[in-house]
Amino acid sequence: MDDIACPRCKTTKFRNPALKLMVNQCGHPLCEKCVEIVFIKGSGNCTTCNVLLRRNGFRFQVFDDPIVEKELDIRKKVLKDFNAREEDFATLREYNDYLEMVEDIVFKLTNNIEVDATRRKIDQYKKDNKSMINKNRGRQTKDDILVERLLEEEKMSSDLRVDQQKREDLERKKALLKEKEDLIDELMFSDLSAAQIVALHDKQKQELLEKEEQEAKERSRPATAFSTGIKLGSKGSEFLPVKKAAEAPPYEYKPLIIDIMGPPAPTVEELEDFGYLNHIRGAEEQEKAGGFESKIACERAIQSALCGLYFGIDGN
Amino acid sequence: MFSSSTQKKHWMFSNERDLAKLRESSNTNYIQKMIARDGKPPTEDVYDTFLLPLEEKMLYRHYEFLLREFCKKFTPAVPKAVIGTSLAYFKRYYLRNSVMDLHPKQMIITCMYLACKVEEFNISITQFVNNVKGDREKAQDIILTNELLLIQHLQYHLTVHNPYRAVEGLLIDTKTRMSHIIQDADNLRPLIDDFLDRMLLTDASLLFAPSQLAMAAIVYAVNKAHFDSNEYLNILFQDAPPDKLTHARRICKEMHQMIKAIEMPAKEQVKQIEKKLEKCRNQDNNPDSAAYKRKMEIDDDNSRLAKQGRYEDSME
Repeated sequence: MDDIACPRCKTTKFRNPALKLMVNQCGHPLCEKCVEIVFIKGSGNCTTCNVLLRRNGFRFQVFDDPIVEKELDIRKKVLKDFNAREEDFATLREYNDYLEMVEDIVFKLTNNIEVDATRRKIDQYKKDNKSMINKNRGRQTKDDILVERLLEEEKMSSDLRVDQQKREDLERKKALLKEKEDLIDELMFSDLSAAQIVALHDKQKQELLEKEEQEAKERSRPATAFSTGIKLGSKGSEFLPVKKAAEAPPYEYKPLIIDIMGPPAPTVEELEDFGYLNHIRGAEEQEKAGGFESKIACERAIQSALCGLYFGIDGN
Repeated sequence: MFSSSTQKKHWMFSNERDLAKLRESSNTNYIQKMIARDGKPPTEDVYDTFLLPLEEKMLYRHYEFLLREFCKKFTPAVPKAVIGTSLAYFKRYYLRNSVMDLHPKQMIITCMYLACKVEEFNISITQFVNNVKGDREKAQDIILTNELLLIQHLQYHLTVHNPYRAVEGLLIDTKTRMSHIIQDADNLRPLIDDFLDRMLLTDASLLFAPSQLAMAAIVYAVNKAHFDSNEYLNILFQDAPPDKLTHARRICKEMHQMIKAIEMPAKEQVKQIEKKLEKCRNQDNNPDSAAYKRKMEIDDDNSRLAKQGRYEDSME
């Protein structure tokens, strides 16, 4: 929270909860008030990088990192020209290379790396592919079509559901009404006693309710689609799950063996038992508090003394 | 641990011949590079202009000595590991780089500064350059420009295993297991330190494991103090196969010979070589040269241009 601050007036989000940062194409944030002051004439220079900016280029910062905002801006601009589709390429490889190039350009522009060269590259691309860019500008991408189709399907299915619900409600009401009438009719004309008739009807009612419940249960069987429209468990969909990696043999533990190229060093227990520790300085209280013990230093010294003593034999 | 370190993997060589070959090839590489850039020197023999591999060797030996002295005189006093590490960096750098490319007097302070960092000897750059005689601001510039270059040439292998901790381990071991043959092992310390100090001026750290250096130092000190070094090695290698023991005896002898064979180049010789070096060194890396200043200006211009470009882009 404290990190959010205007670089010009130094107001922080903590001191002024209403603080709203804005960014322009250079990606440097400025608070709402400062924008009003600095850009009173409609245009001015960025207070951080001194780049000329227009006031109406400012918008509220959505992401914490202003660089992200800048990147989004640049991406939008770049994608306007780099609008080739997968169908425009002969192989997937070429398409991927093209995507990589686009990402590269966006990254370079965002981070001010070889800006001139990159802009030249963009211009060159625009010149080379003028007809394709214009052609693609109006065309829907494959993703657009898919999203549209999904939306339509979703709307249709929800309409259907509402319709069904309405019909069922109506039927239930009718049934209830009919039942009541039946009961009264029977009370009027039957020879059985009133108590018997009521008990019989209650039983019938119970059965009806049970049947309904069962139906409801059947209706609420697991959904076949996500809310995003992706079919569950259906084969042949365009969103195939990632293929499972080939079954690898289970992990086998192998103890770590370090070749110290020398005589074996005594273990930590041996350091104590053989009296190595008597010959080094004991750890001070402060050092012990930090988890340091004299045997650590001792072990290290001995290890480095023995490690490599065999170096140079048999050609290594 | 040395046996799994980059030091063992990348910076250990089997004999001095390999080292000499590497250095010779960096010498020829530099000369070829310079000839390709500036054209052939006027005389027939390239070594009239450029340094011979032998002259290079004398020069870096001399500067190794200077680096060691610089470390020793340093205030505040540095731990031994810093000295060992900085010399290791120096040796590693000039294995694959020519002395003519970057002057060793620039490299020694850079190595030392980096070693202070890596060995966690906390010191600020201002405090550091207070130890440098002469223009401190220039020294600071030199260190900061060359530091990253050095790290790159070290292939980012910054951890250096020094023999000093191994010595401690062996001494603890001696006090624990061999007190019957070596009394008062702490009295050996001056002799051991002297041995390791001299070892810094040889290529031993590129040929032997740190623990082997430590072992040779102790054997040297044990001999000097008239104890039984044979018995010492017997106990140290009591669990090892016999060939390891003979190997250990051999490398100890080798190292003792290396120590005896150290000869420092005479001062007049060094002066002469340095004079020659002034003519053939890479002027791009000489902070006093016109070429260096021009290079720096170009760099400045470039960064200014880049900034301007960004500004104009945003105006669109």
